[in-house]
Amino acid sequence: MIEKEKTLEILEKGLRFSSADQTELLLLEEDTNLTRFAENVIHQNVAKYDHALFVRAVLGKKVGVAVTNGIEDDDIKKVVENATEIAKNMEEDPEFLSLPTSPRAKEVFGFYKNTFDFSPEDRADSVDLIVKKCKTLNLYASGAFETTTQSLAVSNSLGIRQYFKGTEAYLSLTSSKDGQSGWAQGLSRDISKIDIESITETAIKKTLMSENREELPPGEYTVILEEAAVASLLLFLGFLGFGGKTFIQQRSFMSGKIGEKITGDNITIVEDPFLTEMPGIPFDYEGVAKKKVKLIENGVAKGVVYNSYYANKAKVESTGHALLPNNPYGPYPKNMVMGSGNSSMEQMIKSTEKGIFITRFWYINFLNPMRTEITGTTQDGTFLIENGKIKSGVKNMRMGQSILDAFSNVEMMTKKRKVCPQFGVVMYVPAMKIKRFKFIE
Amino acid sequence: MNQEIDDMVDFDKISEVALDQTKSSGATYADIRIVHNQDESINVKNAIPELIDKYESLGFGIRVIAKGSWGFASSCELTLDSVKKVSELAVEIAKASAKVKKNDVVLSPVEKIVDTYKTLIQIDPFKISLKEKLDYLLSLYQITKKTSSVRFFESFMSFKKEKKYFASSEGSKIEQEIIQSGAGISALAMRSHREMGRRSYPNSSGEYQTKGYELIGELRLEENAERVAEEAKALLDAKPCPTGIKTIILDGAQISLQIHESIGHPLELDRVFGAEKNFSGTSFATVDKLGKLKYASDIVNVVTDPTYPGGLGTFGYDDEGVKAKKGYLIKDGVLVGYLTSRETADIIGTKSNASMRAEGWGDVPIIRMTNTNLLPGKYTLKDMISEVDDGIYLETVSSWSIDDNRDNFKMGCEIGWEIKNGKLGDMIKKPTYSGNTVEFWNSCDAVANEKHWKVWGTPNCGKGQPPQNMEVGQGASPCRFRNVKVGE
Repeated sequence: MIEKEKTLEILEKGLRFSSADQTELLLLEEDTNLTRFAENVIHQNVAKYDHALFVRAVLGKKVGVAVTNGIEDDDIKKVVENATEIAKNMEEDPEFLSLPTSPRAKEVFGFYKNTFDFSPEDRADSVDLIVKKCKTLNLYASGAFETTTQSLAVSNSLGIRQYFKGTEAYLSLTSSKDGQSGWAQGLSRDISKIDIESITETAIKKTLMSENREELPPGEYTVILEEAAVASLLLFLGFLGFGGKTFIQQRSFMSGKIGEKITGDNITIVEDPFLTEMPGIPFDYEGVAKKKVKLIENGVAKGVVYNSYYANKAKVESTGHALLPNNPYGPYPKNMVMGSGNSSMEQMIKSTEKGIFITRFWYINFLNPMRTEITGTTQDGTFLIENGKIKSGVKNMRMGQSILDAFSNVEMMTKKRKVCPQFGVVMYVPAMKIKRFKFIE
Repeated sequence: MNQEIDDMVDFDKISEVALDQTKSSGATYADIRIVHNQDESINVKNAIPELIDKYESLGFGIRVIAKGSWGFASSCELTLDSVKKVSELAVEIAKASAKVKKNDVVLSPVEKIVDTYKTLIQIDPFKISLKEKLDYLLSLYQITKKTSSVRFFESFMSFKKEKKYFASSEGSKIEQEIIQSGAGISALAMRSHREMGRRSYPNSSGEYQTKGYELIGELRLEENAERVAEEAKALLDAKPCPTGIKTIILDGAQISLQIHESIGHPLELDRVFGAEKNFSGTSFATVDKLGKLKYASDIVNVVTDPTYPGGLGTFGYDDEGVKAKKGYLIKDGVLVGYLTSRETADIIGTKSNASMRAEGWGDVPIIRMTNTNLLPGKYTLKDMISEVDDGIYLETVSSWSIDDNRDNFKMGCEIGWEIKNGKLGDMIKKPTYSGNTVEFWNSCDAVANEKHWKVWGTPNCGKGQPPQNMEVGQGASPCRFRNVKVGE
């Protein structure tokens, strides 16, 4: 990894090379190491080192973006020139005001040397433990064990200077046998916090419980969603409406609803990259210090997240949620936290006369975005609950459900919450008991 | 990094260092890919260019077999010292992999290749000025301005040039230059923020092919801009999708998606063998079904064809150095083949059909679709519709979801029309249908002819960990299916 001082010097050079009215440089450096295994064998084992230098050049109200993964002086000069040349060719955007300014972001510790130093042999040894455990029960282990070290630095000609370096370790495990499967995962910046034994035991337990799976007819059921399943609903809710761009453009379910009740009283969602459990970065991809943002509080729509462009349009301050400058999606919350309840998983199961326990969902997509209606199937551990006990496995079912309706029907939530990463977004959520959850196939 | 890669990189020297180092470190097989990518994309919303960006990336990836297992390492630092270190790391990783193995990796044989391949293009898109591209996209908005309900009219162009060099310890040396172009338009009509109608052309994410700037003219976006806007507006007042069992006809774009999700992905042999179980899922089409499974009706014939000119999944050689070749996957409705790598092909006793590709230099090649083409049938679309008493004609991909075994699916389209007594009737908004893969494809009783057929490009097929994006194509024409569940 490049030293902090050298990283910041690369950005300073870019600022010096630029003749644009305003200039922003972002250097993203990543060292990724991943071991994949399937059917009790390591079948893919990779390492990748890359860095990407993003430049935004501003000429009046024209903005150009260029990216390179070269960091030599000639590369820096050329990418600055490219961004400036693009800006010259742009039409003016009357709503562009300026690149942002921001105070220095809060210091967040994110780099764990033990994670950075975790070797291919260490990963193989961990996978070996998992595989041996599965083999003793005639099960197959499939999954991925990944460590990543990332540094992110942003500087602009208006004085922003931000730097962060952090590590992440992630283990995802599916155990399986004859169509039965169970799944568990763990994510932490500190690899010593990845509880390999517990993850393995959870996946195995669910696989063994999935024997003799029943087929249930479509219809409305009480469901108990484990944390990963709740996180999927939250993720897609976020896609649909927690970003300032869709909100301003009236394409969000939040548009026109601020201050109104949109879910049950027991739902509170906050974007909070600073929560201890959350591997958040304290500033966004344009260097603005992140803020904690209330999205839904006690069921009432409270707000959305912004980058500088859409904050200017909405005449509010940026919340520090810009994505990389070469994407057209607008701001997005990447560290969403849901409020918890007072129950335990055991209490939720015990209180259920008839219901379905769901570990996670697969391949969710939208049916009707404005109604927050989605579809997807259950996966890797779906069980029938009868008379307060898990009775049997259930064959995977396809849901067709409005997320806001589901979050209006939450009867119980666990006190304990878990960190759930999905598609680059990390969520910290409880498990939930939800009534009248709709299955269509 | 603006000059051509050939001037920047001594490919022979780097590959020699990599292959020597991997061998001396203990590899029994090694290959190196040096890849230089250049992308340019322009997105316009109404009269404002939302984003124009240029992206450039250069690096190398080294794949080895040591102690009978795979290792892969890559870096953007293209110095000889870095190449040596990454070579050693790849072998170290392979040796670690060998701690958890069953059998040694065996590769199906491939001939030694020394060759070059270039996408045949008429106009280099990177030589057309940004101004010309932008002016064209902005002119499209002017066409649609009179359609007052249309709140957002978006258009885009995207171009990619990939130069890659492959060398293996078996003696192959291959240079390829692949150029892809894409463009599209979409209109979003809104009455309130609860009522919206979206239409796009040529497909929901545009159309992409391995062609040059000439594709932009061929797509005739300007001739479709007004229709797209008018249909988006009309969708605000269209009927909801009926529910029940009906005959449906899917347009070529939707058939392309249906092929992609329920034929292409299930026939990736790494997926069949469980390699994606924890991430991208498995497949119902297990190898015991090869040559036996009646996957589809007799009129359904599907090939993998990376040689098809202009297809988005068209190339000269895959990223294992295997020459592109056409082969049947489904013949007369029967499953007869898979998409294979050298490793998986050997397991089922065949040779690779050149399906291994990596997104970039930093990604390990995995099995990907090429152009998965459903061969044209005999029908005209008009004749196909004329034989339907009560059905729906659906156009343009909107939403898709398929289970982790590639069986049960639910799909949504942008627009539909009732079919009553052999004729198209009222417009339908948000039409959906669902089914199970084998039952669905066996209910196909008509495939439209070559006049309706083209290879549709999918620029964003996701698979693998770390996630890899890939450009693939699907040859398709409209097809008719009987007794399909619609609505709900």
